[in-house]
Amino acid sequence: MSDTDLTRQPEEPSNPAWLVLPRLRVQNANAISSPMTWGFPAITAFLGLMTALERRLGRGAGITLDGVGVVCHGFEPQVSAGGYTRSFALTRNPVGHDGSTSAIVEEGRAHLELTLVFQARVASPLLDAAARSDLVHRVAEQVAGMRVAGGSVLPHLADTPGGPHRRPVPELVLTPADEEEARKAFRRIARRCLPGFALVSRHDLLEARHAELLAATPGASRLDAWLDLSRWNHRAVLHPRPDGAAPPAPEAAQPADWQQDARPGWIVPIPVGFAALAPLHEPGTVAGARDPHVPFRFVESVYSIGQWLSPHRLRAPTELFWFAERPDEQGLYLCTNDYALHLARRSNASPDVQPVSSDQ
Amino acid sequence: METIHRPRVDAIRALISEFLQSQLDEKLDELKEGDTKRAKLRLKFEYATWIDDAANRSVQIQAVTHSLKPIHPSAKGTNVYTAPSQLPDHRVVGTHCLCDTFEGDVAGNAAALDVYKFLKLSLDGRSLLDLAVAGDADLAAALTDDAEQARSWLDAFAGVAKQRGRPASHTLAKQFYWLTGEDAHDDTGFHLLAPLYATSLAHRVYQTVQLDRFGDEAKAAWEARKAGRFHPRPVREYGELAVQKLGGTKPLNISQLNSERLGRNYLLASLPPVWKTVAVQPVHGVDSVFQRYGRRREVVRLVRMLRDFLASDPAPNIRTRTRIDTLVADLLDELLHLAAEVRSLAPGWSQDPACRLSAAERLWLDPGAGTEEGAAAVPITDEAAERIAAGFANWLNARLRKPLPMGDPEYQHWRKLALEQIEDDLREAHDE
Repeated sequence: MSDTDLTRQPEEPSNPAWLVLPRLRVQNANAISSPMTWGFPAITAFLGLMTALERRLGRGAGITLDGVGVVCHGFEPQVSAGGYTRSFALTRNPVGHDGSTSAIVEEGRAHLELTLVFQARVASPLLDAAARSDLVHRVAEQVAGMRVAGGSVLPHLADTPGGPHRRPVPELVLTPADEEEARKAFRRIARRCLPGFALVSRHDLLEARHAELLAATPGASRLDAWLDLSRWNHRAVLHPRPDGAAPPAPEAAQPADWQQDARPGWIVPIPVGFAALAPLHEPGTVAGARDPHVPFRFVESVYSIGQWLSPHRLRAPTELFWFAERPDEQGLYLCTNDYALHLARRSNASPDVQPVSSDQ
Repeated sequence: METIHRPRVDAIRALISEFLQSQLDEKLDELKEGDTKRAKLRLKFEYATWIDDAANRSVQIQAVTHSLKPIHPSAKGTNVYTAPSQLPDHRVVGTHCLCDTFEGDVAGNAAALDVYKFLKLSLDGRSLLDLAVAGDADLAAALTDDAEQARSWLDAFAGVAKQRGRPASHTLAKQFYWLTGEDAHDDTGFHLLAPLYATSLAHRVYQTVQLDRFGDEAKAAWEARKAGRFHPRPVREYGELAVQKLGGTKPLNISQLNSERLGRNYLLASLPPVWKTVAVQPVHGVDSVFQRYGRRREVVRLVRMLRDFLASDPAPNIRTRTRIDTLVADLLDELLHLAAEVRSLAPGWSQDPACRLSAAERLWLDPGAGTEEGAAAVPITDEAAERIAAGFANWLNARLRKPLPMGDPEYQHWRKLALEQIEDDLREAHDE
């Protein structure tokens, strides 16, 4: 099946599939993920990559990418070590045309190794295994020349983890129609992502902590809850009395143990999209816009809580994927992920696995 | 004709006069007695003169809550001033969370920053800038008795918070596409988004972190913790906190608030867990994989957390059970990770004489061993998974037993938690 055939008979891709790009090594990716977070690149960067990839492949490729799952296998930030805070390596921009020095713009960089899994739909010609294999080769070629979160993709080396005998090969897997078969196929993909950590949304934890803070302090904001979940809190606990009586009212001088609040897993503050600061400007009305043909909007980054978890913990494929929401009427451009929703359903079914929402 | 409240007008006048006097005094202090500039300075700070001058200079500055300069210092374009309470109340975190208590920032010519100081003077919780934007009649009357003149000054001051001219972005600003349609190939299905720096929000985060790191109460709490004494305030640590410098040696070029932060901005860490720093080694020279597993830093940390939690004698409720099960699940994650790491070695490593692992563990960790040429495939049995799960339960009990009485019920529980995970993992390792 050649590409030209596909272009001649365009068809809306409708067969669900997964596109797996295993073990991409990315050098110098952007580690400043927003004005308030650093570390792993923002999930918006991967959704941007998804759209860019789909456009590069062209409509004739017969594949639509709907969502992206991100699994991190390695992360090497290029920051100063030691001390309480980290700082980024400075870059001096080239001098201006008049020879003057340009302003310093701090950039954070990191080397990454990651697996990207896309939720895709493919046109019927791609039901053929050979056609899928052709497409996967094209995808690999395209991705090799693309920027991933601002970094460049390096060729795979024989000595990278995974080893030479397990050379990572991109895959385009049709999603089995049978639910049990689909679950098995996904589990196989998830297992191939080990060892590694997938990023999922835990917006539910932000909401839960916000509700708790509100109960204690009227007027507490989601920002307060977000900061609370972004740090380690240590609290003083008085020693229990030997006779088992309740400890006396706490006083500053009494001996106490300091305990660190446990967290429900490896949770992190993450940027999750953008909120409009102004109405949408008509195409061509904003000076200096890079494209005069699309509507333009000034926005700010918005934040929530994410969790890094081992992919084998994911029970269903949809728990892995992030989707870009269309802007709502309030001008919110959001990346969403359903992991927490599934978690809640699961815990309704069995109270044993209820998520720990708070330690207070 | 709007009504004027004389006492309020007087209050505003007094506020302004006081401000001018303090500014003047500050300047005078820098000059020697008898310097001829002193007289000039006094003239400059006369009420009407200063206000007229300030109104003229007000075009050089702009009040902002969202600024472009932090994105790139050489970018020129629209900045935005929006009170957080005017923004929609989103379910995620953003500037809207600041509600009414926020600090506006100011960008522009540093030489005109005194005008902003003046506009930040506040009466009953509202700044002169707010009043100017609202066209407050009392403020107008307080500026001058000449109504026409007052109106023009008021407009000039209000302009500080208004967007000037046509909206503009810049090649050095960030701009990117967001797919709003269904079809990525359709060029019209996108919005171009231009993020601005939420400077008021960043300032609040900066202040919070500063207080948690350097505030007097925070320091007292740190010291109490060091001494093992009680303190009501929790100690708060921001792990892997990064500092981003904006504006280099001239933070004032970025904005007023940035200058107050000395150009330092805090970035919270969203790092993924990183589990390996050294090359993976075959599991040789130990009788069980748990001997190696137990030395992993994350495992040591999790065991300590679990032990401390159990030792604190928590109430026997669902919350406690969930907490325990969550920690054990994290421990099992580490175990499956170790398995995945070891499986990345060339198959057959377990057939080396240095390998003393049990048959079950070999089967699990070196699933390719049996597929080597000449060797018969080893059939997997449920027994293997059960043995490994039992091994985990034994190991965990041994680790916790030191301070805590661990017995059969605990063993059975750890075993149950481990079995399902290991069965799956073992089966899938052999599926490949």
